Amino acid sequence: MQASSTPLSVEVADITVAYTNGNIALRDASFTLLSGTICALVGVNGSGKSTLFKSIMGFLKPAKGQVRIAGRSVAEARKSKLVAYVPQSEEVDWSFPVNVWDVVMMGRYGHMNFMRIPRQEDKRVVLECLERVGMTAFKDRQIGELSGGQKKRVFLARALAQKGRIMLLDEPFTGVDVQTETAIIELLRALRQEGHIILVSTHNLGSVPEFCDQVVLINRTVLAYGPTDRVFTEKNLTEAFGGVLRQFHFEHSTIQEHDGRTVKVLTDDERPLVFGKDGHLEYTERQGREELVKERAKEVGE
Amino acid sequence: MTDLLTPFHYEYMVKAILMSGLIGGVCAFLSCFITLKGWSLMGDALSHAVVPGVSLAWMLGLPFSVGAFIAGILAALGMGWVKNNSRLREDAVIGVVFTTFFALGLLLLTLYPSNLNLRTIIFGNILAISDPDILQVLVISVVSILVLGLKWKDLLLYCFDEAHARSIGLNTRFLHFLLLALLSATAVAALQTVGACLVVAMLVTPGATAYLLTDRFSRMLLIATLTGVTCGVTGAYVSYFLNGSTGGCIVVLQTVVFLAALILAPKHGLLAARTQRHIASAL
Ligand SMILES: Nc1ncnc2c1ncn2[C@@H]1O[C@H](COP(=O)(O)OP(=O)(O)OP(=O)(O)O)[C@@H](O)[C@H]1O
Ligand SMILES: [Mg+2]
Repeated sequence: MQASSTPLSVEVADITVAYTNGNIALRDASFTLLSGTICALVGVNGSGKSTLFKSIMGFLKPAKGQVRIAGRSVAEARKSKLVAYVPQSEEVDWSFPVNVWDVVMMGRYGHMNFMRIPRQEDKRVVLECLERVGMTAFKDRQIGELSGGQKKRVFLARALAQKGRIMLLDEPFTGVDVQTETAIIELLRALRQEGHIILVSTHNLGSVPEFCDQVVLINRTVLAYGPTDRVFTEKNLTEAFGGVLRQFHFEHSTIQEHDGRTVKVLTDDERPLVFGKDGHLEYTERQGREELVKERAKEVGE
Repeated sequence: MTDLLTPFHYEYMVKAILMSGLIGGVCAFLSCFITLKGWSLMGDALSHAVVPGVSLAWMLGLPFSVGAFIAGILAALGMGWVKNNSRLREDAVIGVVFTTFFALGLLLLTLYPSNLNLRTIIFGNILAISDPDILQVLVISVVSILVLGLKWKDLLLYCFDEAHARSIGLNTRFLHFLLLALLSATAVAALQTVGACLVVAMLVTPGATAYLLTDRFSRMLLIATLTGVTCGVTGAYVSYFLNGSTGGCIVVLQTVVFLAALILAPKHGLLAARTQRHIASAL
């Protein structure tokens, strides 16, 4: 029970991470996350997102600096079942004779006895997590006999089953359908309420303001980090992505005055990220953000 | 009818049958991990690499399995070291290291003649197994069964997903070493029954057979072990009537079972695949 008494935090202090081929993937990266947050990790391909996750897990040793989790070393944090990690791609043998149920049950090993015999509680948690990702119907399937997105959901369920209070998710939504994504985001929100720390990397910029309260922008180092509305600005994003983002300028488009605000934006995969006139973030729902709307109305003197 | 019972009238046959069954079972249990981890070649290598250990143990007056076990571990560590410090592929490394050990063993055996017979080491001779050797095999088997019985789930996770094993705080380096040690130990035990040449069959075939028959690891363990024990017992028994090599009988029997599984397995068998295609095209 010591785990829950120490204040939860992830502290990345000035780390430099180099691969064995001499390639320096991260240099002098620092940020701190405190209890009760969903933090997005955003950057271009090769900016060092996965590298950062591996360093937090202790799979890569920083050449300089250190990572502390709840004030402890990474190895101690792993032992005390604090951290659950879903890598970008699973390096497992897909023809292994284990089924979906077995894989999710592996997430419970840390909570089991010496011989890893599942108790009633473990079975309940596994079933609940399968339910969450909508994979209950597949629980007896051999793990290789699933589609790409279904595989991803199973490994998410395993991470959930670990009940770690820190979750590191490396692009969990790539290849996952919208419905599942929404369900998982719902779940992550609930975990945030309970004080968990969730760090999630994504290329889906539009969904970041929708569910992440903090953002870490990286490109071989931490460019900026903090609350979403402060960090997720047009200027910062342009810096992080070097002008490679797709854009849709309303004033350059065929949309006219008489269209008013009733323009519909559809996208099949990624949510659109919309900035207002002064470059501030626009959200999809007014509901729940009345404060913001009022404030902005005041600014322009309406 | 009484003819069928004659093998049981000879104490050496009873011993051979029981020992073959035991070793067959232990090797088969381990074979599930070996086949899934992709260490089949490693098993072959280790069973040959233990030979110099046997010779040295005799010179030093140690039990032969101690020498063999140490040689096996040294060979495994040697392979790990060469692999990490060169850009060679694993199969090349295994090839280089194990032939070196085997050659060294041959040299020692011929330079320092002992009561050890090269033929016995290479082809095994369970019919002439001595009581001290039986004791050694028993100890190895009991320890291996205990360790595997208690820790098979951790080893399974290690074989399936090393990164996850590490992330939940398991000591993967220890598990790696544990699996290597078990492999060396059972290779030493199997040396007695079937000899260095055929050890790898005992350590691979039952696992491969069971793999074709199920999609659950726990069931795979069960099927493999049952096959191992049955083939060990039956092989030794049949060899009395054929008057042929016991090791040869056991391994041929295992192969027959494997072929049967390959063709008839309900889901992954050749026939099942044909039937599935047939049904799909008929719809
Ligand atoms: N095993 C490796 N050995 C050497 N260099 C590597 C290795 N893995 C990644 N790199 C390099 O390190 C840098 C950061 O890689 P990383 O995988 O962290 O990027 P990422 O931000 O996760 O990218 P993506 O969005 O494509 O997932 C890249 O330049 C990459 O080429
Ligand atoms: Mg990545």
